[in-house]
Amino acid sequence: MEIIEKIKTNKLVENQTEIQKICLDKLQSSPLPNPKSELWRLSDKSKFSTFLDYSVNEKDLKFDTPYPKNSQNTIRLIIGENCQIKLIEDNYSIQQLSEHELDKYIKDQISCFDQNENWSDLLNLSLSCKKNILGLKINGSKIPPIEIFSHASCNSLNAKTLVILLEKNCDIQLLQVNLGKDNSSLSQSTFFFLEENSTLTHGVVSYGKNGSNLLNSLNVIQQKNSKYNLGSLHFKFNYARFEINIKQSEGNAKTNIKGMQITKKDEQISTYTKINFNGPNGFLDQINKSLADDKSHAIFEGSIIVPKIAQKTDASQLSRNLLLSDLAQIDTKPQLEIIADDVKCKHGATISQLNEEELFYMRTRGITLAEASKLQLSSYFQEIISFIPVSKDRWDLLDKILNEN
Amino acid sequence: MVNENLVKDVVKEPYKYGFVTDIETEKIAKGLNEDIVRLISQKKEEPKYLLDFRLKAFKKWQKMDEPDWAGLGYKQIDYQDIIYYSAPKQKEKISSLDEVDPKLLETFDKLGIPLTEQKKLTNVAVDAVFDSVSIATTFREELAEHGVIFCSISEAVKNHSNLIERYLGTVVPASDNYFAALNSAVFSDGSFVYIPKGVTCPMDLSSYFRINSGDSGQFERTLIIAEESSSVSYLEGCTAPMFDTNTLHAAVVELIALDDASIKYSTVQNWYAGDEDGVGGIFNFVTKRGKCLGKRSKISWSQVETGSAITWKYPSCLLLGEESVGEFYSVALTNNLQKADTGTKMIHIGPKTKSTIVSKGISAGNSINSYRGLVKMGTKAKGSRNYSQCDSMLIGDQASANTFPYIKSQQPNSEIEHEASTCRISEDQLFYLQSRGIEFEEAISMMVSGFCRDVFNQLPMEFAAEADKLLALKLEGSVG
Repeated sequence: MEIIEKIKTNKLVENQTEIQKICLDKLQSSPLPNPKSELWRLSDKSKFSTFLDYSVNEKDLKFDTPYPKNSQNTIRLIIGENCQIKLIEDNYSIQQLSEHELDKYIKDQISCFDQNENWSDLLNLSLSCKKNILGLKINGSKIPPIEIFSHASCNSLNAKTLVILLEKNCDIQLLQVNLGKDNSSLSQSTFFFLEENSTLTHGVVSYGKNGSNLLNSLNVIQQKNSKYNLGSLHFKFNYARFEINIKQSEGNAKTNIKGMQITKKDEQISTYTKINFNGPNGFLDQINKSLADDKSHAIFEGSIIVPKIAQKTDASQLSRNLLLSDLAQIDTKPQLEIIADDVKCKHGATISQLNEEELFYMRTRGITLAEASKLQLSSYFQEIISFIPVSKDRWDLLDKILNEN
Repeated sequence: MVNENLVKDVVKEPYKYGFVTDIETEKIAKGLNEDIVRLISQKKEEPKYLLDFRLKAFKKWQKMDEPDWAGLGYKQIDYQDIIYYSAPKQKEKISSLDEVDPKLLETFDKLGIPLTEQKKLTNVAVDAVFDSVSIATTFREELAEHGVIFCSISEAVKNHSNLIERYLGTVVPASDNYFAALNSAVFSDGSFVYIPKGVTCPMDLSSYFRINSGDSGQFERTLIIAEESSSVSYLEGCTAPMFDTNTLHAAVVELIALDDASIKYSTVQNWYAGDEDGVGGIFNFVTKRGKCLGKRSKISWSQVETGSAITWKYPSCLLLGEESVGEFYSVALTNNLQKADTGTKMIHIGPKTKSTIVSKGISAGNSINSYRGLVKMGTKAKGSRNYSQCDSMLIGDQASANTFPYIKSQQPNSEIEHEASTCRISEDQLFYLQSRGIEFEEAISMMVSGFCRDVFNQLPMEFAAEADKLLALKLEGSVG
């Protein structure tokens, strides 16, 4: 109950919105997620309570980490800072959702929430004040790439929410960056609605700092003939959860996911995905990679649900994991729940360490062990990083992963 | 499009083991309390340590909650409405098969179990368990010549008490889970096998479990100990009559393999599965676990699961000894309203341990067939490997096939590979076979048999043939 009391008694919450009230009410009946449920069973309890321990903060301190320089043809938005945008060009438009539209969309989403499965979203929406919710409506084509930042402040718990509606035939590239600060918690919830024939190429980079925590939830609804590509990378968080919930509402849609999580020291990072095919001819290609070093713990749990209506679904899911230390651990659980009979569904999982033969080959050619390991790791990472759109080169992601401690 | 009705017809073969043997039985009153546990122990003239074991288990069971994580959604079991001991009345001691009630022999004869002399030629020693007690064990003398002990667990308690006291409950402790605790408290009989050092068991051993009463549960317990460098192949079969009530079956099987020993445990489970509307059928909650204690020891589980209304069963291997090997080969077929949640646990503890999992699930009708498995590499399991393969086949668009593999690794120097796929009967293959003059049903049967080939190859010969036939019979009328 502590977290609820904290939200309620927060002086900064002067004018609670209706959405905040609804979510608080729902949270009151399940103040904490059920630790026995599959979604939370492996979650480190003390780390999770650290996440909740920071004081709730709605006002961000000016973020001092320099972002990579903005390129001219990229639209950059920082949730909570500069969310005012209205771009109407000949071939596209990006506008903020009206308060009414935003409210309606979020309320519709809340009505379908499960108290345990969507606990992270309920927490986020009960914390996010109007200023920290960015709602956009996008249509058209040849849209410049968009970068959206969310960041936490030191010693506090911040919540940021992003809602984007992609109208018919729209095609965009979007990079979402969640930045942690020293000893901070960030709750980020994202909602995408992809109308018919729209394409979203989405990148999520969550980059933490010492003792930063993250609860990142992503909800995507895809209408028919839409295409959603996601490349994601989570690293350097003391505790991070990435929950992905994708629903192909009418089938006939395509989803490609390439995700990666890297844990070192005593970090715990987990990815939970749930892909629901609610119509025929759905397509999914998913790969999730983990790397666990030192005393860390990486978790992946992916479920693919194919009800009777989803005939001709073609879904594949692969979990590949590298375990690099005696004290690290990896849990992975890919799941298939299938009723439709005319489907092609498969999943696979592997856990191993670096390939010794390859290392040996490189060493015989004069490459040091450290270099050889780095080379092998970079090829392991590159598959995912190359899938992250927009400014990935400016972020030097590979360098950050390989060379930063 | 494959003709769905035709396939449905293929699976509708009536359950041919559904008869009831009219025999006088001794039953105790319904219900479960400490006195009942004491009474069972008293009836079996058990030593004190076993009574204590039962009472401790009963106390633990009382504090436990029935597990619901498998989401099987069966109707609540009234544990007070079950008879925990039922035995056919017969003379106290049986010195030869001639003294066994002919009705009992007839029952096993109908089931095709080689108890009688003429059938002994099949060279399989059988322990036949009828409701709560073992009624006969064949080939005992021949086995005794090699030092192999094969008898009912009640006899073992009397004659080999040291072995029972040393090993019982060491693989599946009484507090392991709800059903194992219940079994530990009320187990009535089962089989006991001891293979001495260096002995390769001269024949396959087999136990056959038959539930006859509709209101009594069956709680058998099997314990197999393979000493250093010994090996044994053990077969288990089960049937039950058709009742429109659900009968509870909660068994425990414990296997122990010491250095270089190997145990192969094969099951063809064909308990009554209930009718098309899901009325009746056995609730089958079984805890099977093997402990590879010794170096280079090997435990291999192979199972064909076709019966029971509810199956909840995860034969597991604890791989402690260096270079020990665990195997699990399974075919699970569900039809009508059957629900099966089955799989395995491979716990790699020792270094250089290896495990292989091959699971084939076939779901037809409105059934739910889930594979649930765990592969765990402990911190000391250096150089260990696991390979898992889970394939599901769906027949008709009402059945459901789920795969839930849990994979956990704490050892970087180990490898785990898992793959799973779901498919239906390929129309192209079916068309190909039919165009070559093979009947529809036979074509389906051939394809299912091919799908399960990897597992059938692991079964002992007698069982493989039976399993193939069983599957064909079960599928009659269901493939679409």
